[in-house]
Amino acid sequence: MNTTTNPVIDTMASRLLGLLMLTMLALALMPGRAQAIPTFNRQTGQNCVACHAGGQFPELTPYGRLFKLTGYTIGQRTVPISAMAVASMSRVADTSKSDDPAADFQKNGSVVFATASLFLGGKITDNIGGFAQITYDPYATQSADGRFHGHTNADNIDIRFADRFIGKQHDLIIGLSANNNPSVSDPWNTAAAWMQYVPVPSPTSSRFIDGNAPYPGFGAGGNLGGLSAYAFYNQTIYAEFGGYRSAKGLFSFMSAGLANADVTRLRGLNPYWRLAYNHEWGAHNLMLGTSGMVARAYDDPLDTSDPASTHHFRDLAIDAQYQYLLDPHSVTAQFVYTSNRHRYPGSQADQPVEFVDAAGNALPNTSAADTNHLLRTKLTYVYQAKYGGSLGFFNLTGSVNTAALTAGFDPGTGTINPDPEAQAPSTRQVDGNRSGSPATRGWTMEAFWTPMQNVRVGAQYTLYNRFNGSAKNYDGFGRNASDNNSLFIYTWLAY
Amino acid sequence: MKSTTLALLAAAAALTLGCANPERSRDLNNPAVSAVTLAQQVCSNCHGMTGTSVSPNFPNLAAQVEVYFSAQLKGFKGHNRQDPAGFEYMWGLSRSLTDEQINGLAAYYASQPPKRQPIEGHRGRFDTGKAIYESGVPDKGVPACTGCHGAQAQGNAGFPRLAGQHADYLVKQLVVFQRTDERPEGAIMKVIAHELTQQNIDDVADYLQALPNL
Repeated sequence: MNTTTNPVIDTMASRLLGLLMLTMLALALMPGRAQAIPTFNRQTGQNCVACHAGGQFPELTPYGRLFKLTGYTIGQRTVPISAMAVASMSRVADTSKSDDPAADFQKNGSVVFATASLFLGGKITDNIGGFAQITYDPYATQSADGRFHGHTNADNIDIRFADRFIGKQHDLIIGLSANNNPSVSDPWNTAAAWMQYVPVPSPTSSRFIDGNAPYPGFGAGGNLGGLSAYAFYNQTIYAEFGGYRSAKGLFSFMSAGLANADVTRLRGLNPYWRLAYNHEWGAHNLMLGTSGMVARAYDDPLDTSDPASTHHFRDLAIDAQYQYLLDPHSVTAQFVYTSNRHRYPGSQADQPVEFVDAAGNALPNTSAADTNHLLRTKLTYVYQAKYGGSLGFFNLTGSVNTAALTAGFDPGTGTINPDPEAQAPSTRQVDGNRSGSPATRGWTMEAFWTPMQNVRVGAQYTLYNRFNGSAKNYDGFGRNASDNNSLFIYTWLAY
Repeated sequence: MKSTTLALLAAAAALTLGCANPERSRDLNNPAVSAVTLAQQVCSNCHGMTGTSVSPNFPNLAAQVEVYFSAQLKGFKGHNRQDPAGFEYMWGLSRSLTDEQINGLAAYYASQPPKRQPIEGHRGRFDTGKAIYESGVPDKGVPACTGCHGAQAQGNAGFPRLAGQHADYLVKQLVVFQRTDERPEGAIMKVIAHELTQQNIDDVADYLQALPNL
């Protein structure tokens, strides 16, 4: 953290007090234990802890996984709506190394109504159930006068058909999932779509919080149209195979609310696969898995006329999750390692760049393809489903690509001036890159309190050892990785 | 166009197939779903396919005494049993079960042979646990458990089978009886467990869990 002065501390304290008062108000407004339950709880009548490990969302318990894989059909039909809202405050360690701190760190240190989601979900028939999240972002866009405008769009959607053939010796769950995000159908929380925690607010003060640090993902992104088939045999072997295409025609609701320019357009059908081994013994359970996807996405979603204008993604992941769940203790260890290869359209590969090296020599042309590797691990402990803490680590490494440069030496000045302030063609960006490397490494620690199952208050701190290739001066203008260290405090409410 | 038609056909087929499926239903509010189906499709998720649960968070139900089992499910349904395991997991699941389904579940689990599970506790506690189980703690007026639960802890009528039950579950329930009024149907246990120390509770729970292996 930067040096703080008393007025800053005073402001922080009053804002935290505001957040706390908001929480207390929400607590006061919440009905009692038996009524205050989102849709799946109403359907099964169970508490959150039955399906969510230690009551943390979205991580599932072994029972929660079976509830999901059997198509959300356990229980009885009920009002299929629930809602979630998050208020938060983000604060970046250094906001001074920026040309326009007000734009680069919007709402820094301010309590904001971060996001709200509506969930439609639950049992439809004996074999069909679903889960659909519709998310409202109050800070989706900003007009010239500085005012923010909200926007609502389709978030994760997973509609299933499932059946289960079970006897004394065998147990086979099979199903189909129509979903819009590769791996959203997965029941483990090391899957790319689920290794995420509280939603990330969009004001730029949250740009370096853990939710925006490197996470496993599929190059194809979300809001696609997908169908996958899966099987879980004897609660030991899980296999899933699916195909994704653009969310068009029958699947267009899966990208509802998104502008055409913001929707991923995939070329043809793109395969996704998942294989996992699951073992449960005593209060322990362990999953070892692998997943992958190959996808071709058009560079311009508005122009899908040229097959050569596609990005080719090949994403492979190995993941593992261990849980120890025995009231009042809940321990989770998560591990993901991904390898992502991104081949650019021909028009973007092998292009000259405007910068030169320190000696004035031309830099290599942009790469035809990049390969990145990401390691993410997290250890969490929750006591009594109320008090929790976690420690996470992330390390992204990858190939250097001059296309990523936002700063460098200017060939036009004749002399190379090592003073970063004098690099004329560079644009100063707080998430800029002077090395062309994506390498980013850091740690996240979090403490949270769940006073009741619908409310969670958390404080998270993310520390960067390296950002975009360097610990020091990663942007070419003197910004260091540690300047991005971020504090994130949130209150999460669900009903 | 072609793929849209296919998707529509698939959706229609799925809906048709999915409308009614009482043999493999997970509907807890349909009296037509048999107890065996519920046991397999729903209860098995935590209690195992034949009533032997992997996680000690959930009690073994195999060979549980029928009368006791029915009374517990009715206790959950009527919110008379209020311990955390009860309201967190079981109140909701049992809320719409019919008496026929409850009795059917009781009969199903009573007929499942108990399975031996790995020993969970400390062997060093077995002798003292056995002594408490068979003779009570005479100097504190704690009676022998065998009187109600049977010489082999097999249970009897309203008294549950304890043999092979997860030690953690036994400990938690003894603590519930001793320190709370959350299980009024087991009020007799409040008196019996009153003088037990935590050590006594751990000893007897470890012994009972291991009993089928001894």
